[in-house]
Amino acid sequence: MISLQGITKRFGDHTVFHDIDLSLSQGEIIVIIGPSGTGKSTLLRCINFLEKPDAGRLQVGDLSVDTQRASRADILALRRRTAFVFQNYGLFANKTALENISEGMIVVDKLPKAKAHARAREILQRIGLAEKADAYPASLSGGQQQRVGIGRAMAANADVILFDEPTSSLDPQWVEEVLSLMKQLAVERQTMIVVTHEMQFAREVADRVVFMDEGGIVEQAPPEELFTAPKDERTRHFLRKILAPMGQPVP
Amino acid sequence: MLNLDYMWGLLPVLLRYLPLTLQMATIAMCFALILACLLAVVRVSKVPFFNGVALLFISFFRGTPLLVQLFLFYYGLPQLISALISITGVTAAVLGLTLHFSAYMAESIRAAIVGIDRSQTEAALSIGMTQSQLMRRIILPQATRVATPTLMNYFIDMIKATSLAFTLGVTELMGATQKEAAGSFLYLEAFLLVALIYWAVVEVLSWGQRRLEIYLNKAYQR
Amino acid sequence: MPLPRPLNISLAALALSVASGLFATSAQADTLRVGMSGGYFPFTFVEQDELKGFEVDVMNAVGELTGEDIEFVTASFSGLAGMLESGRIDTIANQITITPEREAKYAFTEPYVYDGAQVVVRAGNESIQGVEDLSGKSVAVNLGSNYEQLLQALPNADEIDIRTYESNIEQDVALGRVEAFVMDRVSATQVIKEKGLPLELAGQPFSTIENALPFRDDEAGREQRDRVDAALAELRESGELREISEKWFDTDITQP
Repeated sequence: MISLQGITKRFGDHTVFHDIDLSLSQGEIIVIIGPSGTGKSTLLRCINFLEKPDAGRLQVGDLSVDTQRASRADILALRRRTAFVFQNYGLFANKTALENISEGMIVVDKLPKAKAHARAREILQRIGLAEKADAYPASLSGGQQQRVGIGRAMAANADVILFDEPTSSLDPQWVEEVLSLMKQLAVERQTMIVVTHEMQFAREVADRVVFMDEGGIVEQAPPEELFTAPKDERTRHFLRKILAPMGQPVP
Repeated sequence: MLNLDYMWGLLPVLLRYLPLTLQMATIAMCFALILACLLAVVRVSKVPFFNGVALLFISFFRGTPLLVQLFLFYYGLPQLISALISITGVTAAVLGLTLHFSAYMAESIRAAIVGIDRSQTEAALSIGMTQSQLMRRIILPQATRVATPTLMNYFIDMIKATSLAFTLGVTELMGATQKEAAGSFLYLEAFLLVALIYWAVVEVLSWGQRRLEIYLNKAYQR
Repeated sequence: MPLPRPLNISLAALALSVASGLFATSAQADTLRVGMSGGYFPFTFVEQDELKGFEVDVMNAVGELTGEDIEFVTASFSGLAGMLESGRIDTIANQITITPEREAKYAFTEPYVYDGAQVVVRAGNESIQGVEDLSGKSVAVNLGSNYEQLLQALPNADEIDIRTYESNIEQDVALGRVEAFVMDRVSATQVIKEKGLPLELAGQPFSTIENALPFRDDEAGREQRDRVDAALAELRESGELREISEKWFDTDITQP
């Protein structure tokens, strides 16, 4: 069970979002949508403490942290329980696909190298890149790199995987393979929070869709409800703007 | 014409001094690398106080000639601190080369670190690495690749700079040549020979550098 | 990245081998450490890795008499004074000329070489016949030597372009890069005779110089100085000093 209570983030005088509450249960899949610049990515980064929130509490499993009093150990523990998938993949350029996946297990979880590598190979198998174990990121396609990025997140055995626009940097031909890997994780009931503009994915996979705008959560509902009968005018406006050009049904 | 017989006879004599030259340079390089990495990390992470010390250190050792630094250590300081009299010319030369070159190397390592993409840092932090794990396992290995060509240049420079050790009474390759040339007055032959020896050493190193760069670049081949 | 094992070991061995040279054995009572440049023919020079010359012979003869081991330390001429002052050597045997400034600072022995400052030019250069002709000319002297001061004391000093050299002074005059150099007459003669460089003496020596061995001006230094002085007197008495001079110069330069 994961919960955010009263999370606030400011950059200087500018408040990105204020007093955000959000919780999800084990195995739940949440997709966050909304216009650009409403702080969706920043919210994800706050959960992983890549950004330090300016107020609020974070709870992941039995770890509950007051963001204003978080110790170094709290932050490291929080990060290990919340894996992150980056828009630009963020693979370690000096490490092979296998090492990218095993690195956290060796360095952070202190697993013996052989054991970590064995687990990493299993993960490579699951993400369909077993034969790329010894390839460096520079020699992989965008889609393959992002799959390794997801594999690295899987290796953390985290309570939740945070996806920050995982397909936005990809050439169109690679998007499908990444989405299908994410769907596979969804089938396995991996808890995840996904920030994306892929509405089709949200419809198919999300248990709940959260619409954010102007620094706050406007509304949240199961996809069939939010996509067909949004309560708020802002949600309706956003969905029309984004769905119509794609030929998808609009509310 | 060149007196080739003289050069041929002088070659084994001068080669006896090559190991000392290479030892001084190699040891100074090892220490300088360690010190330069520390300085660079302190500068990059802006550790309070130590950052100031590092800045002052770099400023002084880049801002004054190596010869002046050697004279200060070897002749100047012992007049203030008598215990320092026990350091030998070799030690003083190695110390001087280490401090002097570490200041330069720190700046190129720092530039290499700063040049590493921010995404590498974020990815490492996101999986729960500490700052020092991030430095050791992700940033420094990547910075090594960027900094290697410059650092090798400094090493080559350092080999040649060991010739200053003769002012501290250490007869190394250059000192031996000067003395032999004074005895024979065959300056052209003696200095041409020593030039060829330095050149050959640097060529061997350059070959090693190319091999090292190929190795370090293997992660970056498409 | 851990180093491969063989490299690791060889690095350690390297560190050890140099570490053994890191700490100097401190001055032993029965050793006299003599600094010299090793680059001043025929006083001190090296042939096939062997240190030779007038100074070497004189100091070895001194050591025979005082019973001290003579340890020669070679360094760039510019480093020698620092080595003496910081106590790394006990004296300098490199034709050190006695000057008032140096006398104030060091404890000198009696002179053991008497000589004159000599202008030397490229062979065939008729325009310089003595110091009065140096006006408007470039003149090389060795860094740290006192010939610069001698030139500065000349009436036409302002018109002389004095260049200070670390080494290779004869070479540059022979090449025509500078028009003259000033050196002591004895070694200048020797250079021209033995090494076949196209050089010649220009006129007579213009200043008398007396060369002696400087020691640190403290109790221990003066004690050493007195021992060496006594030995030099004995060598002079026995004629050995003259013999050494004649061996290198075919003439006795040890008499005024």
